[in-house]
Amino acid sequence: MSNTPDQPPPSLVKIPGRESDNRRSFFAITAAVVTGSIAVLTPIGVGIAAFLTPLFRKSKSPEVRIALLDQVPDDGMPRYFPVVADREDAWTRYPAQRVGAVYLVRKPGKEKPTAFTAKCPHAGCFIGYTPGSKVFQCPCHTSAFNLDGSRVNGDAEVAPRGMDTLPVSIRQAKTGDGNSIAEVWVEFIDFQTGHKEKIPTA
Amino acid sequence: MMKLFRSVGDWLDDRAGVRKLIHESLYEPIPGGARWRYVWGSTLVMAFMTQLITGIFLWMAYSPSTQTAWESVFYIQYEMNGGWLLRGIHHFMAQAMVVLLAIHFLQVVWDGAYRAPRELNFILGLVLMLIVLGLALTGYLLPWDQKGYWATSVGTNLASQTPAVGPEVKKLAIGGSEYGHQTLTRFFALHAGVLPGALMAFLVLHIALFRRHGLHARKPDPAKDAMFWPDQVLKDSIAALAVLTVVLLLTIYFGGAELTAPADPANPYDAARPEWYFLFLFQFLKWFPGELEVWGAFIIPGLIMTVLFLMPWIGRTRTGHLINIAMLCVLLGGAAALTAQAIHEDYFAAWNSKEEILKAGDPVQEARYEASERFLNAKEEAHREAERVIELAESPMRIPPAGALSLMYDDPLLQGPKLFAQNCASCHNYVDPTKPVEEQPHAIVNAEPTAPNLFGVGSEAWALGILNAEKIVSKHYFGYPGSPFVDGDMVTYVMEAVGPDVDDEQRAKAKEAFAKIAETLEAEAALPTAPKTNQERQNRIAEGRELMTGGLADMLEGGMSCTDCHKFHDEGDLGLAPDLTGYMSREWLLAFVRNPAGERFYGDNNDRMPAFGPHDNPQLNQLDDKSLGLIVDWLRGDWVRVSEPVEKFDEAP
Repeated sequence: MSNTPDQPPPSLVKIPGRESDNRRSFFAITAAVVTGSIAVLTPIGVGIAAFLTPLFRKSKSPEVRIALLDQVPDDGMPRYFPVVADREDAWTRYPAQRVGAVYLVRKPGKEKPTAFTAKCPHAGCFIGYTPGSKVFQCPCHTSAFNLDGSRVNGDAEVAPRGMDTLPVSIRQAKTGDGNSIAEVWVEFIDFQTGHKEKIPTA
Repeated sequence: MMKLFRSVGDWLDDRAGVRKLIHESLYEPIPGGARWRYVWGSTLVMAFMTQLITGIFLWMAYSPSTQTAWESVFYIQYEMNGGWLLRGIHHFMAQAMVVLLAIHFLQVVWDGAYRAPRELNFILGLVLMLIVLGLALTGYLLPWDQKGYWATSVGTNLASQTPAVGPEVKKLAIGGSEYGHQTLTRFFALHAGVLPGALMAFLVLHIALFRRHGLHARKPDPAKDAMFWPDQVLKDSIAALAVLTVVLLLTIYFGGAELTAPADPANPYDAARPEWYFLFLFQFLKWFPGELEVWGAFIIPGLIMTVLFLMPWIGRTRTGHLINIAMLCVLLGGAAALTAQAIHEDYFAAWNSKEEILKAGDPVQEARYEASERFLNAKEEAHREAERVIELAESPMRIPPAGALSLMYDDPLLQGPKLFAQNCASCHNYVDPTKPVEEQPHAIVNAEPTAPNLFGVGSEAWALGILNAEKIVSKHYFGYPGSPFVDGDMVTYVMEAVGPDVDDEQRAKAKEAFAKIAETLEAEAALPTAPKTNQERQNRIAEGRELMTGGLADMLEGGMSCTDCHKFHDEGDLGLAPDLTGYMSREWLLAFVRNPAGERFYGDNNDRMPAFGPHDNPQLNQLDDKSLGLIVDWLRGDWVRVSEPVEKFDEAP
């Protein structure tokens, strides 16, 4: 619809008995804009607030019992262990779920093993390890890590940093016959991928 | 009849002005007449309509949550009438859309159809392209299978590297810190609501602007000017049908879209790759190590997209237009080369000989071969896992309320080899020595075993191996390096009974007796793979029992029977050698693995075998009861068999 030059646009057409340019029409326009906006923006605002929920939820990194210390011989060879912890997914709580995996490496003569998360710091793929091999390897973009978690090719590696280590603690537990047994516990922290620094995601 | 149609038409026209609408949509002038080169836009619209229709029907059966997504897609694929076809059409048409988009885009640029006054429409087209790619990306996750899960995980992790807002973007996209219900609901909302809605809105604008400016014809011939209807519509319809035919053929050829095993965040999927049309981006990232990744993931793709959006202005001159064409060719060629490179890297092991690679001694090639081998193995393993879980889901047990993943976690056939590899394979191997390893998908090979091979434990053939003078001293039984048993009483006993120093007649008699004992031991194990017992077999088993508890002593020169060392039911004593009562039965094996140094088993003669579950508190044990059971059940071949006949361990070591 186009207006011919000799016809005024609709907004300038005078309606008999009504002033088009007075204070009343200003208030009417303002009120219409405000009420209309409120009507439209309220559901949008409520929706956005709900949508943004995840940004306000903090999750805590669980401390997980990974293995008995005996299960990690001090031969410097990585051992794979699934991480079993309770998991909460929106409305469901799943007790004792496999939430990820770690590699424990105990160097000769050392009591405490080092824990590496199996998540690649590049793009989050699952880093693999073949027993006997001298490197960890990521199947996605072929990142490779030495057994101490450092990158095989340094800065030339696709991964921006070495494998992420996790805090490890050794705790003593009592067996049925009263003996003490050492357990390996790990704080299972999830780190952001793609950065040079370790930044927790939670 | 015609009169009735006309009346209805008049009625509708009075109220809705349909005649004008139809006239406007069908009688679009086409300078130079209908051409095949104009079909691509229409085929894209047809493809989108197909996606909309198939998507709505898929929606009616799909349930987005981590316990129902895979399960509902399984139901669509394997239970619903023609569900596989519906899903297959949706899957392959999505891929066809990407191809059609590329052709349409290339043609628009080639023809210079982006020039004034069509710049805005070109931009709308690019927005539509991004929406289509977004639809492809969000749809990949929805089946919640390993392939989609790990590929999307890589994609969203890369998105989290967006400068400044990356982590928040990722958190909003996946609905929290971890992938789960909320990831699926969000991706589904994007895939089935937000993006199709946006696509429709932009498509309406795109078509409206197209109608406003008309078709951009190259070198039109005024003598052949024609209307859209019917010639161009016919060509468009034929092209649409051809596209649909290709999609249908692909669907039938592949049996629909693939559904891999349910997503398992704790289990690696080494064959995770994006769909083929995103493979070039996946490969592109390998060129940007460390912190340079932001260039590969954002800056360069961002710059390329900016240049694409600026094409109408760059192409205002003839030189600019040629630059645009050259740029597009380089981009498409580059994408094709990167895709080929990614495929070549993944399938390198399939296309090259390992011997030759090793002979060349190039560490780079060796590493490439190894990586490719891992990819191919993982792919094969993923197929096997998917087949198995689908088999279980189709069985009368169906899928439990906990979801299909629990089917996987509870299945000895799937979990047994993994647990064995983690806990047992550092000493034992599991391989049929009578067949090449390549022919054994489930073989777990330890090149230098320090304990017996556990393939077929408890079977008649396995027991016969122990009672064989050659086999008992092989690495598959007691002849492994460092074995204290190779010179032990059992080996001595067997050698004295059937060894090279025994005369043929005596050996034949002993072998016949050992054959009966092997059958008796198999009966003790009660393997599900054992042959059905008939009267003849029962008699032999009874004879075997008698031989074990004294009969052998009368027959063999050594004058000893099994119960002189072993306990067997009420005969013999514990403490000298393993109890043969219920030998290799589920209960026996469980108890043995829990504590092999117990009086009932090896006692003080135990050779390094750890106790995997000695404590009452399962928290203190190396293996929990469930894991123990899964390993034992797998070793005994005790798992749910749905379609396959029960295989016998007839070729044990």
